[in-house]
Amino acid sequence: MALDSQIRINLDRSVVLLVDDNPQALEALTAMFRGFGVRKQFKCGSGAEAMHVVKTQELDLIVIDSTMPDMDGYDFVQWLRREAPDAAKFTPVIMLTGHAARTVVEKSRDSGANFVVSKPFTPEVLLQRVFWVAKDERQMVVAEGYVGPDRRFKNLGPPLGVKGRRKDDLSTHVGAAKDPNLDQSDIDMLMRPAKVQL
Amino acid sequence: MSDPEFVKVKYRLTEQVARPGGMTAGLASERAQRELAAHAGDAMKSLSGMIGRLEVMCKERTASLDSVYEEGSTILDIAGLFNKRVLCDACYSLCELVDRQRTHKRADWTSIGVHVSALRLLWTKDAEDPASLKSVVDGLWTITDRLNP
Repeated sequence: MALDSQIRINLDRSVVLLVDDNPQALEALTAMFRGFGVRKQFKCGSGAEAMHVVKTQELDLIVIDSTMPDMDGYDFVQWLRREAPDAAKFTPVIMLTGHAARTVVEKSRDSGANFVVSKPFTPEVLLQRVFWVAKDERQMVVAEGYVGPDRRFKNLGPPLGVKGRRKDDLSTHVGAAKDPNLDQSDIDMLMRPAKVQL
Repeated sequence: MSDPEFVKVKYRLTEQVARPGGMTAGLASERAQRELAAHAGDAMKSLSGMIGRLEVMCKERTASLDSVYEEGSTILDIAGLFNKRVLCDACYSLCELVDRQRTHKRADWTSIGVHVSALRLLWTKDAEDPASLKSVVDGLWTITDRLNP
């Protein structure tokens, strides 16, 4: 779904950290965010530099490339979500990806970034993801194997009667009961432990 | 194992984007496109240099598959920021091919060479209609898909 071009977005007070090991790609990203009206940007060429910025600055958004030598984008986000100072732990992250090698597919899934943007993309797509991040209401999940936004999306599909709804989509309407209600003794029977012969 | 904890987070960014002022999304995209265009010339030059390095690797056939993958991945990174869709698709096929070859521990320089020649062709035909160049990319994927993931 394209971003409505008439929506107003104010990013002039936002502080954005851009991380990419390729200087040319980093310049291009900087140019895009300058165009979006972001005045304060930190640019880093490595995960280690980015870690330092996270520890010393208040950031509103991090945009990081997935593929970098030493510490890649996925490792950085894992560090951010688990080991960064508390104030920075849940800073929203947009991950930019090129080709996902087989060895990093699982890492990518579990990294904890808010959104992943695959290349190639246009400035419009990137701005749309920034807007999505700003409107992202998902809770953060802190679990042993994963720290990041809740990955469960609820999609009920188009409402009933609206074109595009498939015949086999589940209805959001429960409808009227077909059978008579169970009485209390039937319910009790369902829950009563029964002795079985093994 | 402990139960997962759910934390409600309020982003500062949410308040900031909604502050009075700013600009429309349409204008922001246009401005970003203009800013980006200023870097396009240098980016195209460096893409040419990277394809050149891949051409040398194909000629010498001594480079590791990791080096070919890294070079291909960098081309994809830069071309991707400038929305060079056809070049990116071709480069994605190269990265996938090399990744599969790494998995099978078998370098096939002929198929890599075909990809690199196609990258050069697509780079020189950058301004042409992407639809007409799609058949080149489809051909590359046919080569890549001959090797199981």
